Amino acid sequence: MKGALWVCERDIRKFLRQPATMLGAVVGPFLTLILLGFAFGGAVTHAPVAVVRESYGPISTNFVDIITNQQNCVYGGVDCANAYNLIDVSDLGAAQSMLKAGAVKAVVYIPIGFDQSGANSSVVSVYLDNTDPISAAAISGLMTQAASEITAHVQITPPPDPLVTVNLDNIYREVLYIEFMAPGSLIQSIMFASIIGGGISLLFDKQRGIIEGYLVTPLKRIEIVVGVLLAGVTKAMFSATTMLILAIVFAGVRPMADIVGFVLIFFTLFLTSMGLISMMSAYAVRAPAPEVYQFTAFPINLILYFTSGAVYPIQGFPPWMRTIASINPEAYAIHALRDLMYKGAGPLAVIGDFAFLALFTGIMIILATLAFKRAL
Amino acid sequence: MESAVVTQDITKQFGELTAVDKINLSIESREIFGLIGPNGAGKTTLVRMLTTVLPPTDGTARIAGFDIRHDPDHVRRSIGVVSQASTVDVELTAWENMNIYAKYYGVPTETRKERIKELLEIVGLADRAGFTVGSYSGGMKRRLELVRSLIHEPKVLFLDEPTTGLDPQARNAVLEYLRELHKRQDITIVLTTHYLEEAESLCDRLAVVDYGKVVALGTSTELKRNATGGDIVEAEVSPLPNEALEALKTSKFALEVKKRENMLTVLVKSGAEAVPRIVELVDSKGGKVRSITLRAPTLDDVFLHFTGRSIREDTYVTNKRFVSSWGAMRR
Repeated sequence: MKGALWVCERDIRKFLRQPATMLGAVVGPFLTLILLGFAFGGAVTHAPVAVVRESYGPISTNFVDIITNQQNCVYGGVDCANAYNLIDVSDLGAAQSMLKAGAVKAVVYIPIGFDQSGANSSVVSVYLDNTDPISAAAISGLMTQAASEITAHVQITPPPDPLVTVNLDNIYREVLYIEFMAPGSLIQSIMFASIIGGGISLLFDKQRGIIEGYLVTPLKRIEIVVGVLLAGVTKAMFSATTMLILAIVFAGVRPMADIVGFVLIFFTLFLTSMGLISMMSAYAVRAPAPEVYQFTAFPINLILYFTSGAVYPIQGFPPWMRTIASINPEAYAIHALRDLMYKGAGPLAVIGDFAFLALFTGIMIILATLAFKRAL
Repeated sequence: MESAVVTQDITKQFGELTAVDKINLSIESREIFGLIGPNGAGKTTLVRMLTTVLPPTDGTARIAGFDIRHDPDHVRRSIGVVSQASTVDVELTAWENMNIYAKYYGVPTETRKERIKELLEIVGLADRAGFTVGSYSGGMKRRLELVRSLIHEPKVLFLDEPTTGLDPQARNAVLEYLRELHKRQDITIVLTTHYLEEAESLCDRLAVVDYGKVVALGTSTELKRNATGGDIVEAEVSPLPNEALEALKTSKFALEVKKRENMLTVLVKSGAEAVPRIVELVDSKGGKVRSITLRAPTLDDVFLHFTGRSIREDTYVTNKRFVSSWGAMRR
């Protein structure tokens, strides 16, 4: 089996001479993480909101004070800033025109008689520009919160109806969206490495006759297969490790794992690398033409990535996407990584994910071996 | 001592097509043996079978005493192979290329260093051993491949088109080094080539392969004598009436007449006698000889005789194919 080491050594030496080729496997996932992570993960701030006030009594004054001073954040944890900027507008019609023209994201309307009608039936109307669902949700959330504060204020004991209070309690530290995304980027860097460092470099070797060149040497076929896969896994692990460091340094990802946790994280990355490298290598050597491989490899990556729950929880998927997710190895790898990175989970928590990944990897190694046997 | 390469009815079929058809060859130890033939004649298929890449459909061969079917591992340890396409790693240095191959063959660490140095010296690459091969010229890469295939001291070296794609100067250098290697090492060389001058100057014996069969075998002198049996007269005739051509074809002194536009190629027993008679004959039938040359037959004539094609036309096709396959790879 020593031959496998030499085959691997050749590949690794070539790779070390030009590591830039493999950095390509990291650039895409890294940019996705940074751009998508910061674009999606941030709280809505300084959204312009028009206030039309037609009643000037104590309750309405109190309400306006609350919404003016509201220093809450829509998405907790980040540096608190005003979610919106209030603009006084005298006339409801004018405010609604501004809303339609996109000058404001919402209109808060406090009608005449608000202060006279008593707390139980005072109604503030909030008109929302719901073509921007994210800002709309943030503003409506804050308005509801302000209204509930004012209700509590005016309702002096005892309350007429039993009040239901929801006590929110985060059981883990605050996890930012970009951190939620990071495990997906680690897996994507492995997938890119499998496409480039696994499949494409294999295609080049095959085309240049290097694979056939192996056959006139005393190397056994199984040694060639193992050597090629081993080199691929090394390259994929290099990509994933680079990606992890970049995520920690530039994306503020803070894995909450101890030594055992990190061992398990790297084990997850290793299993995934082995599986994806075998899959893409098998595909590369059996693809009808190199072009077919190159044109299909990246769509395959897209499908696996977006159905894995990397950017949005699987629970939010339509049924057909959930079905794909249930057989998507990346989904299991990402699930395991999230548990290990943010929950400080031990091996028992991820045993199911590992079982699926091991099964997938086993099947792919067998497929790769068979594919090589026929192609060699 | 047993011959270095012995084939017994070796045959390869791809579906309906018989690429190699019951070839029986015996190549002696230390011989330089050339396989020549048109493209698609079966040379490369034969070499791929002898180097254990392709299993034969029928028949077998023994290389350095080992059967290619039953003992491929020993065959692989006894042969060196330089394929037509370049397979050196341009990202690595010459030394690394050699070293990794030595490892494939299990050359022990102690002897590895010395052997690599010695081989690189023979082909004049010792002082460039630490440079990545990407900086090498085509000829230097070829020379590196040549010695890389010798790292494990093989008994038989197979070369498939070793000089295709090289400019004449680089080609000559490769051939020089090949001769030098053959002189220094105890090795049998089997090569395929399109360059007849190369085959003639380098090879002890030649086999002309066509349609999967050996159609002629011998030294280049033997081949020329057997194929042509005389001299060749080339005459430019204009005008060339049909009667003149017919008269020439039926005349007793012309063994073979080939016409290509206004050029006549006439095979004759004795050139000196034939020249005036050709002029006289053409003249009497209303034709006019513009120029006439007498020359000894070349391997190209041999090739033409046995395969019905000129190798030059064939080389052109091969080079074009080589270019297009290169283009496909770059895409």
